[in-house]
Amino acid sequence: MAVLRTLPQALRDAAAGAHGCLFIGGGSAGHHDDVYRSYADLHTAACGVAQSLRNLGLQRGALVALAIDEPEPFLVALYGASIAGLLPASLHPPGATRDLDAYHERTAKALRASGARALVTSSRLFEGFERVRAACPEVRALVMSDALTGQACQGGQDWEPDLDDLAFVQFTSGATSEPKGVALTHRNVCENVDAINGPGGLATTDTDSAVSWLPLHHDMGLVGMALGPLYASRPAVFLPAQLFVRRPVEWLRAISRHRATVSFAPDFAYDLCVRRVKDSDLVGMDLSCWRVAGCGSEPIHASTLAAFAERFRHVGFRGTSFLPGYGLAEHVVAATFAPRGRSILTDGPFVSCGVPLPGHRLRIVDELGNELPDRQVGQILLAGASVMQGYFEDGRVIRDSVNDGWLRTGDLGYLAEGELYVCGRLKDLIIANGRKIHPEDLEWAVDELPGLRRGRAVALGIPDVEGRDRLVMIVEPNGTVDSEPLVADIRRRLADLYGLSVDDVVMVPGGTIGRTSSGKVQRALTRARYQRGEIGRHRTESGSGPVVYR
Amino acid sequence: MDVEAGVIEALKNVSRRPIEPALTNDLIADLGLDSLQVLELATELEDRFDITIPAAAAPATRTVADVVAQVTALVEEQAGV
Repeated sequence: MAVLRTLPQALRDAAAGAHGCLFIGGGSAGHHDDVYRSYADLHTAACGVAQSLRNLGLQRGALVALAIDEPEPFLVALYGASIAGLLPASLHPPGATRDLDAYHERTAKALRASGARALVTSSRLFEGFERVRAACPEVRALVMSDALTGQACQGGQDWEPDLDDLAFVQFTSGATSEPKGVALTHRNVCENVDAINGPGGLATTDTDSAVSWLPLHHDMGLVGMALGPLYASRPAVFLPAQLFVRRPVEWLRAISRHRATVSFAPDFAYDLCVRRVKDSDLVGMDLSCWRVAGCGSEPIHASTLAAFAERFRHVGFRGTSFLPGYGLAEHVVAATFAPRGRSILTDGPFVSCGVPLPGHRLRIVDELGNELPDRQVGQILLAGASVMQGYFEDGRVIRDSVNDGWLRTGDLGYLAEGELYVCGRLKDLIIANGRKIHPEDLEWAVDELPGLRRGRAVALGIPDVEGRDRLVMIVEPNGTVDSEPLVADIRRRLADLYGLSVDDVVMVPGGTIGRTSSGKVQRALTRARYQRGEIGRHRTESGSGPVVYR
Repeated sequence: MDVEAGVIEALKNVSRRPIEPALTNDLIADLGLDSLQVLELATELEDRFDITIPAAAAPATRTVADVVAQVTALVEEQAGV
């Protein structure tokens, strides 16, 4: 196994090699707007960014937030900040946001709370951030990503990070007053990436190359599909996420055209291809090169994978290419993989996510922390070199969720014949099309609506029969606004800010939603009462009408 | 082709549950589309009307009437191209 390397070291090594990244344009100009950058090009550009960032006079290790929605400038800014000895942190770009002003306002508040000292952003978002600049006075510099073109640094590696310095922070909850970021060291990142590429993982070789449309502020997009190829100095092709969603066939075309061998995506992406790709799109396509079709990041449905394999078998896709896995940002990205080259293994409705990566450990425990025997459901705990340092909050790393080296994932699962089956979660995440949404973000989004009692909203993801989350908002009206327009306001707010459609809005009398001694809403208790039918019993079957509980 | 009728038909195709779209309806808040389906709608409209919808246009279209107006403008603009 190779020696552990920091991000700048890996980039330098890749720059000495022969490969690079192809960035596919999202435009309608065919392939004329595709851009190829060798790793040497990316390294040169990143050194320029590093020099520009250092010219800002930031302290070593200062947090530099990135709100950039195109893959190339995102990667260059991330690598550049790292070379400069700064701590890059990815923020959510607007994505499905329809109300950009609200996005900027909320992100500015999150920026202030994150302790960021600089923000690098795309030109289309720059002006909006400038307008809300007063809300985050500690952010000393606000820079457009394409303005960071300083002369490449001469030598100047004195600030470069060590293996045990933080490599980056990934904000998983993007827009609350208490942004929560996963803090990972270079050692964490390299251990995970090496295990993924290694013989117990994907066993990649010089003949491998990757294609990805996954957003880079997402762990599977950044670590899995960008850093994985980078650390191995292998080719990678990136498509804009929007292009994939609008024309899912472009993902498959890119794999076929570039003879890619590795591509990961959440379950919904495979489903989208089955539903949206037409026969006429498949002419000339050949997916026989696709050796590892990774699947993770949200619950995996055997039916989705079976339908995909059936649909694309005649263009060379093999069902044995599927590689289901389990992981989370708090563990860099990957924790377990199913064995390569095997048909998916199911146990009842659940798909096997395989075994822990080499050098990593996994336990299933009950509420008291006692290890459970096979086939008993409990919380999944992980240990090993990939476990995060903690959450970056308020400028510091809080060693939350990690006990004696064991990460409490908040996910539920069981072991059978040594393989992991994930079957639910204890934590309050809502998963929609592979996006992991923190309920705090949604609760905060409706907090200032007139007609609602402040700090008394609960957002829940309640799995339906197929295991997909229904979004439920439970709120306490204050009686100043009629219920029908109030429900419409709540729906519009979440549509505008997150592009989310609410399945059920439930109004409850004042005092129904309890708070903990630290002032947080009692989400678990409210969820239990909703699921028992004590709250929202009178909801309409379609879930679209206003609902009032008395 | 009648743009309004075409848009409503496209909306019904994209939605996974029965809907009766009205011009004032918000695509997500009222008709229950998710953000993926909004983009799916754009593709469906591109194919149906043989137009190109700029990627940045999606966030500005909130209601069915917005979509009808946008498609109408694009059809006129891109006619005969």
